[in-house]
Amino acid sequence: MSKGEKCSCGDDEKGLLERLEEIIVSFKNKPGALIPVLQATQSLFGYVPQEAILKISEMLNEPLHKVHGVITFYSFFSLKPRGKYLIRVCLGTACYVQGANEILTALKQQLSIEIGETTTDKLFTLDVGRCFGACGLAPIIMVNDDVHQFVKPSGVKKILGAYKKHKAVNQEEET
Amino acid sequence: MQININNKSFSAQEGETVLDVAKRNGIYIPTLCYHVKTGQAAKCRACVVAVEGMRGYQTACNLSVREGMNINTEGKEVKEAQRMVVDLMLSSGYHNCLACDRSGSCELQDACYHLGIEKTTFSDHPTGRKDESSEFIVIDYDKCIKCGRCVAACNHSVVNEVLGFGFRGLETTIMCDDDIPMGDSTCVQCGECVQLCPTGALTDKKSRGKGRFLEFEKVDTTCPYCGVGCQLTLHVDRAKNKVVRVTGREVWPNNGMLCVKGRYGFEFHDSPKRLQYPMIKKNGKHERATWDEALDLIAEKIKTTVAKHGPDVFSALGSGRITNENNYAVQKFTRAVIKTNNVDHCARTCHAPTVAGLAHAFGSGAATNSIDEILETDLIFVIGSNMTEAHPVASYYVKRAAQNGSKLIVCDPRRVDIAHWSDLYVPLRVGTDVPFLNGLMNEILKNGWQDEEFMKNNTENPEDIKKWIQDYPVEKASEISGVPVEQMKQVAKMLGEAKKVSVIYCLGITEHTTGTDNVKTIANLQMILGHLGKRGCGVNPLRGQNNVQGACDMGALPNVFHNYQSCMDEKAILKIEKDWGVTGLSRTEGYKLPTMLHKATQGETKILFCVGDNTVQTEPNTAKTIKEVESLEFLVVVDIFPNMTTEYADVILPDVCFNEDDGTYSNLDRRVQFLRKAVDHPGEAKPTWWIMQELGKRLGVDLKFTSANATWEDMRRSGTIMGGITYERIQHLGLQWPCPTVQHPGTPILHMNGKFTRGKGLFSHTNYRTQAELPDKDYPFILSTGRRLWHYHTGTQTRNSVGLENIFPEELLEISPVDAKKMKVKTGDMVKATSRRGTITLKAWVTDRSPEGVTWCAFHFREAHANVLTIDAYDDVTETPEYKACAIKIEKVREGVEVVNRGFRQARP
Ligand code: SF4
Ligand code: SF4
Ligand code: SF4
Ligand code: FES
Ligand code: FES
Repeated sequence: MSKGEKCSCGDDEKGLLERLEEIIVSFKNKPGALIPVLQATQSLFGYVPQEAILKISEMLNEPLHKVHGVITFYSFFSLKPRGKYLIRVCLGTACYVQGANEILTALKQQLSIEIGETTTDKLFTLDVGRCFGACGLAPIIMVNDDVHQFVKPSGVKKILGAYKKHKAVNQEEET
Repeated sequence: MQININNKSFSAQEGETVLDVAKRNGIYIPTLCYHVKTGQAAKCRACVVAVEGMRGYQTACNLSVREGMNINTEGKEVKEAQRMVVDLMLSSGYHNCLACDRSGSCELQDACYHLGIEKTTFSDHPTGRKDESSEFIVIDYDKCIKCGRCVAACNHSVVNEVLGFGFRGLETTIMCDDDIPMGDSTCVQCGECVQLCPTGALTDKKSRGKGRFLEFEKVDTTCPYCGVGCQLTLHVDRAKNKVVRVTGREVWPNNGMLCVKGRYGFEFHDSPKRLQYPMIKKNGKHERATWDEALDLIAEKIKTTVAKHGPDVFSALGSGRITNENNYAVQKFTRAVIKTNNVDHCARTCHAPTVAGLAHAFGSGAATNSIDEILETDLIFVIGSNMTEAHPVASYYVKRAAQNGSKLIVCDPRRVDIAHWSDLYVPLRVGTDVPFLNGLMNEILKNGWQDEEFMKNNTENPEDIKKWIQDYPVEKASEISGVPVEQMKQVAKMLGEAKKVSVIYCLGITEHTTGTDNVKTIANLQMILGHLGKRGCGVNPLRGQNNVQGACDMGALPNVFHNYQSCMDEKAILKIEKDWGVTGLSRTEGYKLPTMLHKATQGETKILFCVGDNTVQTEPNTAKTIKEVESLEFLVVVDIFPNMTTEYADVILPDVCFNEDDGTYSNLDRRVQFLRKAVDHPGEAKPTWWIMQELGKRLGVDLKFTSANATWEDMRRSGTIMGGITYERIQHLGLQWPCPTVQHPGTPILHMNGKFTRGKGLFSHTNYRTQAELPDKDYPFILSTGRRLWHYHTGTQTRNSVGLENIFPEELLEISPVDAKKMKVKTGDMVKATSRRGTITLKAWVTDRSPEGVTWCAFHFREAHANVLTIDAYDDVTETPEYKACAIKIEKVREGVEVVNRGFRQARP
């Protein structure tokens, strides 16, 4: 946050920050506390907000760059709110040649988001990657751990639909 | 052992690397990630060589030598492998040497040159990504080869812990803090990363476009700011008579490291605001005069006044900011020409209690050990020192030692930034150092942790102190100091069990009415522990200004001549009279600085000759100081800038500054270091020694000051501690006094093996006395004062150098979050701070550096400076003012723009 700007987190995040403090206190003075604390932060917020980075750095007395370095080193952590499903489109050479870019465009249109963004219902986050090591199945996209092979732009809707439905089913189960 | 490089035999030592041997023998191997200071990263692979019997290529930077090893560094294939690496590096960025400031001192460019790479065979991809947000440093990401030197430097050399690597794989990049612009980050702009970057990725913003490295003349000299005495190189543009860049020299005491002032605060030397001509006050206005007019007037005034009222109506001030030669000139003039001992300088306002206290206990009033030993100690005990701001480079060593496993205890009422690196932070109440330390000693003795042998053999009165300290059980000490009993016991245990303890202190100890007692108590502690006269131990005051040690050494003090020869001791006086060829030197101790001023209002000080002091802004209780200065009959000020004091001067004389004449400074570990003339002075400015010589002549004495060197030699004739230090010997590296003969190697450690200068160490009884002005209902806050990282003294140098003022443009009053909440004050709000002596209005900075009830500000900005508020209460022995404690009240004046504190460890909001 640069000088003059206000904290961007909502009220509920303030409550979460207080919970984070408790968590940090419980880990304090234990060696190697940084990664478990970050894990807790990620699950608490769904990502690691900047306010949390400042708090962790201060309370664990670790340099800011170290905290940030760990977050950006492991793909488990994310600096932006992440949706329930992370969609990663392969833009490696093989996939690119097979039309990965069109798939990306279709995804952007249907979700109304850009790369790195998350849908307002917090269901999908869109990201890209380089060669997932399955070039024989190009073009491919990954949704969390599921691999979708030989994807066509026209098939995107169906794939998304399945996850939306999944969510709906789950919700029913939960209620 | 012998090893072979390219079929030639070279001798090598166990533990050396192939690179070490190659370098020593002038064999070039490209190295991009390795640097002596940041160590072996073995990342870049530019240094690959072939070794007989080993598969593939080896990196020379981390390859240990073995007897009979056969190494090839220049075979066709080896060169090809090196070329490939360097070519790849070149290609993964965008290197346009034609317009790069680093050109000529770039190690990547050197590598290309040696390997014959004219152009990369891979394609260039400029991304154009740059970070220009900080005041002094530009990051050009296209030129970064990700060697990691800057990251290592920032984290392990200066230990500011700002730079890191972020992200993964191809995206890996250096970043500040959590990947924010450098200008918003906690970076303190020390420039160590710039100095160690092998390419043009990190460069000095100030020197951008001013010329390339090779175009400048390089002049080695000493930093004109704090007492660390960093060695630096000025890069001088001869034609423009300007310094365009400063780099750190890789020698002691700083090993290349600098702080923001030393590296980037250099333009003041050619500021148009410099004093350039003598001025005489006529009808209330300063008018330009010739040197003859000014000097004749001063001489005449001195002659008539002294003839009428005697020599003691004359007082002179040297300065901790001018050279040894100039301080010597001022004191010799005062004593030999005027025949009074009324000469003093600003150590009176800072470390006079150190000189008095340590001379009393040990016989020598200076730091006992050297800065480099900090890295060898087991426990560093810091008390009353905000070193990350006031002595940044000293703090780098302390932080590094802590990082390498030495224990660090920081005792200070304020949570100063160095506390972030400590194992234990002990917040004691303001002004309770004596009972706190006494309590620790009581606990140490109770548990038998003292060094019985040392006490018995090397101190005068061990049994006496053991008995006396029984009056200070930890419980009592805890009650007074506010430090919990448990914590006191913990500190005592750590002190008692450590093999080597180094005590480092600063003005938090000395600037109290009990200053001398505080120092004596520290001496007691180290004598009980026996941590004196050994490496990595000692009592180490951080002397404040560049030459405050030297000003004392040169005798700008009312009780001693140069080299601490007493001016009340008949034998010493006769010797000096012979040395100087004069008779009738004064036999009575002179006035100390505050007394000189008090006597002015009584008409007993009529003339004050003030060199480089800015008395009006630096003495406590400004309203009172102004009254005193106004009641002088005649005030002469020699300085480099107009300031609050020149306004009251009858005559102003323009001085030269640190890079306009040769000379010497003595740093905080007694190292006499050389200063070189690098540029020409502005207008008609003259060195102080010349001024004293001319005045001496007019008053009938030839002082023999014909040059800086002649002045030094005149001082050196009296032998003793400086006898062996000549300009010739210190051209490259300084020498630590005592250094009695020209063969003597200098003395890094005083009182070696417990043999104190005074014979045996002397314990003192020190009792708790409260500060002069305690907070009360009307003035409920304590105000403590000090120094900011970004500024120096009364700001004349730092505020006339580009950039520092952009970072820290005005003084702030530090208030604790608890008090701020009560008063509904937030950072950025305007507040009025009032003491019984005056009022200043300034912005608030709400920070947990301040504990509840304690506020803090500095005296750098004349618009709102601390000394309007500070109290004219003095240490009873040395008359050092109690700058660290007075009572104030605070009122909110108006709301300001809210400023969000970003993280911690920062020397500004
Ligand atoms: S900025 Fe310089 S020192 Fe830092 S990684 Fe890049 S090239 Fe190396
Ligand atoms: S200037 Fe100093 S503090 Fe800032 S990033 Fe470079 S090394 Fe670190
Ligand atoms: S630490 Fe002191 S001597 Fe060193 S560069 Fe900074 S101000 Fe100069
Ligand atoms: S290019 Fe997409 S999986 Fe390899
Ligand atoms: S210098 Fe040896 S690997 Fe970089």
